[in-house]
Amino acid sequence: MGRYIIRRLLNMLVVVLVVSIITFGLMHAIPGGPFSREKKLPEETIRVLNERYHLDDPLWKQYGNYVYAVFIPHITTTPPSNSLSDDFMINVNIGSVWIRWMNFGPSYKSRSRSVNDIFRDNLPISAQLGLLSLILAVLIGLPLGVLSALKQNTILDYLGMGVAIFGVSVPVIVLGPILVWIFGVALKWLPVSGWGSHPPFLLGFLPTNFGWQYIKYAIMPTVALGLGSSAVIARLTRASLLQTVREDYIRTARSKGLRESVIISRHALKNSLIPVITILGPLFATLVTGTFVTELIFGIPGMGKYFVTSITNRDYPVIMGTILLYAVFLVLANLLVDIAYAYLDPRIKYD
Amino acid sequence: MRKLYITFCLLIALSMLLTACGATGGAGQDLKILYTSFSGEGDVPTLDPAIAEDTSSIQIIEETFIGLTNINEVTSAVEPGMATDWEETINSDGTVTITFNMRDDVSWVRWNGEEVEKVKSCDGDDRMVTASDFAYGIQRNQDPAVASPYAYLLGIVLKGAAEFNSGETSDFSTVGVDVIDDSTIALTFLAPAAYNSQIAGLWVARPQPKWLIEGDECTEAVGERWGEAEFFQSYGPFTLKEWIHDSSLTIVKNPFWPGTDEIPVSKIDEINFKMLDVTVQFAEYEAGTIDASDVPLDAIDRIKADPVLSKEYLIAPEQCSYFYGFNNQAEFTNDVRVRRALSLAVDRQSLVDNVTKGGQEPAQWFSRPGLAAAPTIASHPDLGISFDAEAAQAELQSYLDDKGITAADVDLTLLFNTSSTHQKIAEAIQQMWKDTLDLDVKLINQEFAVFLETTDGPNAPQIFRSGWCLDYPDANNFIRDVFASGGNTNAVDADGTLNGIQWVNEDFDELVIAAALESDPAIRLAMYAEAEEILVDKDAAIAPIYWYSLNKITKPYIIRTYGVTGHEAYEKWDILPH
Repeated sequence: MGRYIIRRLLNMLVVVLVVSIITFGLMHAIPGGPFSREKKLPEETIRVLNERYHLDDPLWKQYGNYVYAVFIPHITTTPPSNSLSDDFMINVNIGSVWIRWMNFGPSYKSRSRSVNDIFRDNLPISAQLGLLSLILAVLIGLPLGVLSALKQNTILDYLGMGVAIFGVSVPVIVLGPILVWIFGVALKWLPVSGWGSHPPFLLGFLPTNFGWQYIKYAIMPTVALGLGSSAVIARLTRASLLQTVREDYIRTARSKGLRESVIISRHALKNSLIPVITILGPLFATLVTGTFVTELIFGIPGMGKYFVTSITNRDYPVIMGTILLYAVFLVLANLLVDIAYAYLDPRIKYD
Repeated sequence: MRKLYITFCLLIALSMLLTACGATGGAGQDLKILYTSFSGEGDVPTLDPAIAEDTSSIQIIEETFIGLTNINEVTSAVEPGMATDWEETINSDGTVTITFNMRDDVSWVRWNGEEVEKVKSCDGDDRMVTASDFAYGIQRNQDPAVASPYAYLLGIVLKGAAEFNSGETSDFSTVGVDVIDDSTIALTFLAPAAYNSQIAGLWVARPQPKWLIEGDECTEAVGERWGEAEFFQSYGPFTLKEWIHDSSLTIVKNPFWPGTDEIPVSKIDEINFKMLDVTVQFAEYEAGTIDASDVPLDAIDRIKADPVLSKEYLIAPEQCSYFYGFNNQAEFTNDVRVRRALSLAVDRQSLVDNVTKGGQEPAQWFSRPGLAAAPTIASHPDLGISFDAEAAQAELQSYLDDKGITAADVDLTLLFNTSSTHQKIAEAIQQMWKDTLDLDVKLINQEFAVFLETTDGPNAPQIFRSGWCLDYPDANNFIRDVFASGGNTNAVDADGTLNGIQWVNEDFDELVIAAALESDPAIRLAMYAEAEEILVDKDAAIAPIYWYSLNKITKPYIIRTYGVTGHEAYEKWDILPH
């Protein structure tokens, strides 16, 4: 298993490099640049700006420098400075030597921040919201799916799947403003927008205040974001469980005289979780790295927005940073999924 | 029994949360805190005057740094800022030197985590704002290493600035900035233009704390990060207290600002700006959590019908123009009759009443009325172009007869950048062209940066959407900076390639250059009126559509002014007890 994981992590590096080449190529291929403005900048100013950000270098050199800055650890004796171009994610000090790794560069748009600043300040908020939604989605989706499967073709099944279809078909962009209107504007029970914690974070990503002050901000976006995913989980669980309960080993278990609740929880459910776990991986990566619409509707200072605005602004370092971040999360989540398979189904082995 | 126990535990936990919530309210009753919001796509990009370029950055800079001159946010008039008075001398080489006499009683301040304190020098004295701070600010704005996107504003007026910015020389003493003593600075301009004193007061020419940026014996250099809340220093009526990126920014009253007739000491203690989409902002306003908000277009009908909201709603002019540019060299639109027919056929009144709805004004010409030296509807009611179906049909018919073709043969394309507002406007105008002229104009849209690339090239489409907002409130910033040969939407490459509207009219160019240097306001106004007539009617190089308006909604307990220059002067606002 250990060797398998190491091999997968090495593969991840290759995947991330390939993603970075494709992203780099695509973003330079689309027309327009970071300094396109409706109020056009003089050619001289654009030249100066390009020079400053080394955009006047040939593309292969720009890409080479990027890979060097992001992927290769730097070992140096100069301590970190306040410069935005010299902001590494990881700085380790051993004696007089600094090991510094992952410099994603400065943002062209937010000119007093680097991409690492955006990761440090915004990613934790997206991650908190994403994790809460994922937990909510599983807490609602799994029981709902199990219930519907066990009571197949009863009123409970129809009700459960009705809720699921509602969850899938009413997008956040509709549900969000309705929630805001009811609980924020009309009843004034919950704040209309914002997020209950802000930097600095505990361990880099946990809220420092976890009470009502935090929860009241989290309720509506978590529900809006989690509901859609819970519906997907519910439908998958139902379908998968319905298939599993018809398997021979379930009949065997029944004929042994096991109680129905033990059969379901210990034998059927565990085996029917494989497809559910499979989608939880990508779902985790998507939710945790930020969701544009939810964050916009609830005014949450997360990462989601940067996936979209970085492209409209042609903010190259932010485009690269967000895409690579997503790629890493996705690959890691899929690795966790594969490890979970081995636990859920002992027939699956990786060595 | 076990279930009961769990329920009991949950109830206890819930009640603890709720009491925790109750205990935190009620702080800061004595402070006047204004809650408002920026619209737009999120974070304030920077608070560094040297590199700022967007509205939200400039808004905060206007409140925390004051220029040599100040532009009144309501009247657009130039008034004293950090300079109490100034005098102009024309030099023998045609340049003009303005000597500014500055206040010497303004100290740099910072928020120390608990209160606003004066910044001390290494000797322990107060650091006062001096002429050298201004010189350093201008130098940083022009420094090619800083790479300011707005360096060209000073570049077009200030002697030697363009050469310094382009790296032709690295000697800042060649730039027309002379520090005479701590409270006197002389700026030398290329020509005696009416707007020199306006540009001298803009955010691009504001002091910056050199000791903080580059460091000195008692201050650590923080470089580009000096605009962050933990380092920030300023001297205007407010200073920065807190900046939670992408979420909110708070400025706090500077009690050490001396207060002048033009820029008083603030009555409000703190201003909290949230960074929200306009729809979310308005929801916060309706929930009563922010005091002043922008208005989403789709809420305007509801606001107008609501007895309470309608009283809190106000439309004010905004210094921007919306227009359609014509490619004056492309097939069909290279004939003035076609261009004029298209422009005459646009029923602008109907468009602003039924489509845009936000109180915009139908534009008869380009320069927004209210700018210095720009014509107004009151002074020139018949200037320019307006809806006239018959005249439009006659112009087009004359063209069709001439060429021996029919309206069906005229193949036109209108390009706009992808956005629902632009789409609605384009569809309405497309229908007007169909109804009045029987022309079928194709609509295409492109993503913004792609759109900019297309319209700014030699292959600009026949008709394209565009717009312009002020940098400084003078007609020169509109009609000349945009449309004179080489202007923003009429650019000419070094090899002579025409871009944008691709319009060449030497009379127009001469007229707007002469108007810039004219000292008699009445003659200047007449010259710009004539230039507008050439641009929108005689040559119909563009079709002006509407002049922008601000849609603002403010709680009744707020006393405020409405800034038309793109920013507000919050030091003039007040909050009544409520």
